[in-house]
Amino acid sequence: MTPDPTKPTEVLVVGGGLLGCALAYHLARAGASVQLIEKDQLNRHASGQNAGSLHFQLEYRMIQHGPTVAARAAEALPLHLDAMHSWAGLEDELGESCGVRRSGGLMLAESPEDMALLAHKAHLEHTHGLHVELLDARATHERAPYLSDRVIGAAWCPGEGKANPRLVTHAYARAARRHGARIDTGVRLTALRHDGRQWLAETAGGRRMAARAVVVAAGVWTGEVAAMADIRLPLVPVALTMTVTAAAPPLIPHLVQHAGRRLSLKQTEEGNVLIGGGRAAKFVQHAGALDLDARPELRLDSVFAGADAARVVPAVQRLPVLRIWSGATSLAPDQLPLLGPVPRRPDFFVATGGSGFTLGPTYSRLLAEQVLTGTTGLPLDDYSPARFGALNFV
Amino acid sequence: MTATEPQVLIVGAGPAGLAAAVTAAHHGAQVLVVDEQARPGGQIWRRPDPGAGGPDPLAGPAYAAGRALLARAAAHPRITFAHDTTAWGVFGTSTTPDGFAAPPGTLVPDGPRVAVHGPDGVHILLPRALLLTAGAYDLPVPVPGWTLPGFFTVGGIQALLKGHRTLAGRRIVLAGAHPLLLIAAAQLVRAGADVAEVAFAQGLPAPTELTRALAALPGNRAKVAEGLAAVRTLRQAGVPIRTHTLVLRAEGDEHVNAAVLARVDRNWRPVPGTERTIACDTVGTGYGFVPSTELARQAGCAATWNGSAGGWVLVHDHAMRTTLPHIWAAGELTGIAGAEHAVAAGKRAALDICRSLGILDTADHDRELPAVERELAATTRMARLLEHTCTPDRAALNALAEDDTLLCRCEEVTYRKIRHTLRDNPGLGTADAVKLLTRAGMGPCQGRMCAPALVELLHQETRIPRETLGPFTARPPIKPLPLAALADAHDATTHTPPAPADTETPR
Ligand SMILES: Cc1cc2nc3c(=O)[nH]c(=O)nc-3n(C[C@H](O)[C@H](O)[C@H](O)COP(=O)(O)OP(=O)(O)OC[C@H]3O[C@@H](n4cnc5c(N)ncnc54)[C@H](O)[C@@H]3O)c2cc1C
Ligand SMILES: Cc1cc2nc3c(=O)[nH]c(=O)nc-3n(C[C@H](O)[C@H](O)[C@H](O)COP(=O)(O)OP(=O)(O)OC[C@H]3O[C@@H](n4cnc5c(N)ncnc54)[C@H](O)[C@@H]3O)c2cc1C
Repeated sequence: MTPDPTKPTEVLVVGGGLLGCALAYHLARAGASVQLIEKDQLNRHASGQNAGSLHFQLEYRMIQHGPTVAARAAEALPLHLDAMHSWAGLEDELGESCGVRRSGGLMLAESPEDMALLAHKAHLEHTHGLHVELLDARATHERAPYLSDRVIGAAWCPGEGKANPRLVTHAYARAARRHGARIDTGVRLTALRHDGRQWLAETAGGRRMAARAVVVAAGVWTGEVAAMADIRLPLVPVALTMTVTAAAPPLIPHLVQHAGRRLSLKQTEEGNVLIGGGRAAKFVQHAGALDLDARPELRLDSVFAGADAARVVPAVQRLPVLRIWSGATSLAPDQLPLLGPVPRRPDFFVATGGSGFTLGPTYSRLLAEQVLTGTTGLPLDDYSPARFGALNFV
Repeated sequence: MTATEPQVLIVGAGPAGLAAAVTAAHHGAQVLVVDEQARPGGQIWRRPDPGAGGPDPLAGPAYAAGRALLARAAAHPRITFAHDTTAWGVFGTSTTPDGFAAPPGTLVPDGPRVAVHGPDGVHILLPRALLLTAGAYDLPVPVPGWTLPGFFTVGGIQALLKGHRTLAGRRIVLAGAHPLLLIAAAQLVRAGADVAEVAFAQGLPAPTELTRALAALPGNRAKVAEGLAAVRTLRQAGVPIRTHTLVLRAEGDEHVNAAVLARVDRNWRPVPGTERTIACDTVGTGYGFVPSTELARQAGCAATWNGSAGGWVLVHDHAMRTTLPHIWAAGELTGIAGAEHAVAAGKRAALDICRSLGILDTADHDRELPAVERELAATTRMARLLEHTCTPDRAALNALAEDDTLLCRCEEVTYRKIRHTLRDNPGLGTADAVKLLTRAGMGPCQGRMCAPALVELLHQETRIPRETLGPFTARPPIKPLPLAALADAHDATTHTPPAPADTETPR
């Protein structure tokens, strides 16, 4: 289907990462006329730079700061469960391979404290309907003989795994185009105004567009774009570090995470080992203002500590490191997604925060439903920007 | 290597780095030179393995200056040489480094830090001035058969000869566009190889070009004499030197056993019906060089596209300063210009470094400057001439690859795969984006082998300017290093008490 240029745009999607392209797909598939704009290339930022972990267990960052924080973060577990199903059917839905492998995930313990955290976590997850099995040392090493002897146990989540961040966003974009969405790259939104009936958008190239609804899926720039609609969202930009090794014969079929250290480790289909886990890089700043367009500077301590954490898989230490990079994303203060309509801004929606790769298919399907019908099958209230309404949504 | 705070750190011990080291040390600077090779010399002055027999390709008058410079650098008390040591990343150039993660009490100074990996692991160096003289590598040109064993770049053949006194094969066809083909062919002949043919894509110089050549002669007589001597050697050995000729492909099952050549027109397009097959076991192509800008670009130094100077070259000012404070560059990575120019530029950078560090006062600096500037001007004339007559025709070379030719040999990505990717994903417009989708450039060579060919293919297919397509983003480590080296560096930086900072480079 070729887009009909005379048809007015119903929805303007800002951002061509995984979320934006998946939103464009769901919206166009439902029959809406969609215009997506991306300031650089599709998949150029977090969606193409991330670790590709499909983690449905609670993450290190969620369980490290005490039971209250963990309990709050666990409120996203219904989305995790939905995402598990979404990924299972995604390749069939889009009609092509996206490197989805769900051969299970391990969260490792190297100390009794780690084990205690895992036990508490498993309990929390259980109450939300996610079943995670605690393994002792023997069971862990039987399942994952590639692990170091230092590992004394693990939490096992059978539905976890990986997908290929190189491919997923583009697969969504191609599907969106097949359904008639217009996707333009090299187009940067610079201004937004609501004229009482619709949104008027302006781009860096001087292009003007009008749309009934605007969906912001601008990754780490989401706060910046929302500010164009005179909204300040409580979002914390985070800059993270990734390391990849040269390809090696298949060794690690699972997603490997750690309960006590920042680590995610997996082997891609091509054999490269990806090491991440959320170690900080440093944002470039000018007089205290973050420059989100500049590549965050790598921190050597993060690079070295990440390599050290990867000692849980000793064989990986021999592999040559090919590339280390940084990427950025944004998190809400309570670690939950920021997903839904923005109060007091007509037809203005955001999608960001949390494990946006794992939860991307879910976020985008639900938000598209919200944009087009005003309601969703799975309630979004817990994740809605309205929870911060007391701040400034006037 | 124990010094962590050399005054001047030079990455690369080729002509530019050595000349800079000697000049800076002469004026009183403490200099540390790191090079990933076992011995200084860079590409042109590559020294043989100890104990390798056979004639020295660097004997003779053309290399007298080089031998002298190598000797002076080796003997200088203020120059330390760290061999087998790769500079793999420059950090702290876009933000100031913090000490959050350092052991308590460690002082974490401001300024760029250079991560190196050598025989005793990873070190972080904190130079006051960093000079990048990483040189160049051969321009790889994918043609059918280019991944067969026996297919080399001429620089690779030469490195075997110079470094290991080894002949790459028995019967060798050399082809391309760069005069290095003549030098290498003569070196091979002298070492006993059978050079079947030396083929140049371009024609003989036109009269106007000869006039320019004469104008470039002052200051470059040694270079020209070397070229003429090479031609004489080849004539005497009966080696045919052909113009308007390209190697279209190499043939063979397990190994090269023939090269297919053809006549080409003025636009380097093969003339139908002129194909010839030459039996040989080795093909060497020499279309020019690619500046090794990876480390500089990873650091954040600006680069710009200059196709006739090798591709992406570093932006620099008259004193060889890059766009970043504390970082200078000289030699091939500011644009391919040859060893003599590299020497002059190295000296120029060293003068500015010494002045800016306060080692050389302005009066002394100004007294030294004119001679160096003259040397730079003379060698620049020669470089421009070479650029004018030897610039590879990238569009024509791109047309030599066939649909199933491998563009990226590490990841086995074909030209067809790239074309299909462009067709299926409208809007793809950077080399990085195509790399991410196709894996071209993601292998162990980190894209060095395929980046120029990929950019050209994208340019030809999309008509997007090469500047916009961009080089692959350079990320550390700019050469692979084992993960264990990084993990060990974690132990070293978090568990051991900090070593007192050296201000003097121990010898
Ligand atoms: C290093 C790293 C590792 C990660 N690992 C994982 C993981 O393993 N699992 C997981 O679930 N999540 C992971 N994440 C998080 C995940 O990558 C992100 O949550 C997800 O990719 C967000 O997708 P997005 O589409 O919102 O953002 P992005 O992919 O960043 O896309 C946003 C797009 O908006 C565009 N844009 C911004 N402003 C404008 C404007 N004004 N006009 C036009 N376009 C604009 C940007 O150019 C960008 O392309 C990781 C993140 C990072 C950085
Ligand atoms: C293979 C080859 C053969 C050549 N042969 C000739 C010849 O015979 N005659 C001729 O006139 N010209 C030749 N050239 C051209 C050559 O580039 C110049 O003549 C001259 O050597 C350039 O000097 P330079 O100092 O700029 O760089 P180079 O001589 O290339 O020296 C750069 C040095 O930096 C080192 N280096 C690079 N990156 C790093 C890093 N990250 N860490 C540590 N060390 C690093 C390299 O090992 C090398 O020793 C050749 C070029 C190549 C690529």
